[in-house]
Amino acid sequence: MIFLYFDPGLGAMIIQAVIAAVAGFVLFSKNLMYKIKLFLGISKPIKDDVFDDIEIKDSDIENQNSSER
Amino acid sequence: MNAKNAHSSSFRDPSGYVFVDNGDIKRVINPIYFKQYKALTDSGFYKTLFENNLLIPHTELTNTEQNIIIKAEKIPFITYPYEWSFNMYKEAALLTLKLQKYSLEKGFSLKDASAFNITFHNGKAIFIDTLSFDFYQENSPWRAYKQFITHFFCPLLLARYHGAQQLKLLSNFIDGIPLKIVSSMLPFKTKLSPVLYSNIHLLAKLEDKHNEDYKGEAKEATLSKKGQLNIIQSLYDYIKNLDLKEHSEWGNYYDKTNYTDDAFIKKSDIINTWVNTVKPDRLIDIGGNDGTFVRKLDSAIETALVCDIDNNAVDFNHRTTKLNKEHFMLPFVLDVLNPSAAIGLNNTERDSFLNRIKAFAPDVTLALAVIHHMSLSGNVPFSESAKFFSSFSKYLIIEFPKREDSWVQRLLNNKADFKDHFDFYNVDNFISDYSEIFEIVEQKEIEGSNRVIFLLKTKAS
Repeated sequence: MIFLYFDPGLGAMIIQAVIAAVAGFVLFSKNLMYKIKLFLGISKPIKDDVFDDIEIKDSDIENQNSSER
Repeated sequence: MNAKNAHSSSFRDPSGYVFVDNGDIKRVINPIYFKQYKALTDSGFYKTLFENNLLIPHTELTNTEQNIIIKAEKIPFITYPYEWSFNMYKEAALLTLKLQKYSLEKGFSLKDASAFNITFHNGKAIFIDTLSFDFYQENSPWRAYKQFITHFFCPLLLARYHGAQQLKLLSNFIDGIPLKIVSSMLPFKTKLSPVLYSNIHLLAKLEDKHNEDYKGEAKEATLSKKGQLNIIQSLYDYIKNLDLKEHSEWGNYYDKTNYTDDAFIKKSDIINTWVNTVKPDRLIDIGGNDGTFVRKLDSAIETALVCDIDNNAVDFNHRTTKLNKEHFMLPFVLDVLNPSAAIGLNNTERDSFLNRIKAFAPDVTLALAVIHHMSLSGNVPFSESAKFFSSFSKYLIIEFPKREDSWVQRLLNNKADFKDHFDFYNVDNFISDYSEIFEIVEQKEIEGSNRVIFLLKTKAS
């Protein structure tokens, strides 16, 4: 059983399949464009110092933040 | 069902509630959540999140048939979503998506995606709603999706297209900014973006339609796990690339000030010396801009709150704390003339800034180059600003720009006909009004500038 304590919105439930399809398409085409540009040498791999990527690493060794001031 | 001493914000989730016990933050877990709690603990899910500093760590205190009680690590100062700068808000949004993705991969899912599930601690955004994780039901859509959109995506987009001040709307729209409003406010070109069209405009249309047509029928909707992960990834990528377009009057503040380099260094030295005598564990810098002066302090400070009215300055500070990997500094946005009020149920659900800062009890408050703005732009008499500062801090280091100072002159000239009203603004009146409430421990002129800096201590009442 799922316990909810707020109204998720009927429209939001129904439409997620559509949004997912759009998302899939966007991700595919962005990825493709990025790979093509990398291959052609137009884009360099982007490194963001402030925001990291979406993955959470299971291994704890890699994630000890170096500490304070 | 809830104990009488449950925290005033902890009443919605039947899985459990939070209460404060002698300053400790404890959580009671009810039997309906036992299965989830056990799975999250035994599988190492909680453990991984603790190790990655993504979820507030807890320890189990008692475990009986009636309930399980856990104790969470204490966070010295909670900031609410309407006090975050744009990039802090971004970080909170990305954290939520990150956690949902990880949850899905491990067979769980977030029950809710409220912005109040997150706060800032030790230099990063951290999730604090330990009981928000539930089992993933195969092929079900994400129940919290709409809440994510209204709590996170909508405010970020409004800020992107209409300025960071839009984030202040959140203190009124306590459960997220309604889709219809955001859809109507975003420029037409956003309808041409697939991500924005589907997640905002189309969603708003459908929500509208189904609100009217609701006949009490349940509709079963399905969404594959891969589909859900696609939504999450596309939102993550989009939000990660979101940026504000504006500059502000304050942005590169230190380039525009009237300090000579010498005066700047002298001011810094004086503050440093005084802070070293007070030896604070906790301090707050009001109007602290990008945190420059707090970073110059030698004294090892456990928690330094640095607030400013300007989003860009706070953003810059946030960025610096991330690049330097600092843990002690907490930047946030605050208008000292209108600090966050207590809101929500019974107006106790989300605490006012003043209550939180009193509970935080900073050892020293810095108010550098802010009194002239309060007095001249804000028309606040010295006696009132003195009362304000003394209400939460024992020591106050305050910088007073004299009438001759160029910033003060600029502010006075802006008053035109009304200028004479501000004849009270001079250092003698300042001293006499503040001396009613504070004892002047030390007072120094900053050479090379038209400013005087004071170390004040609240008089015992």
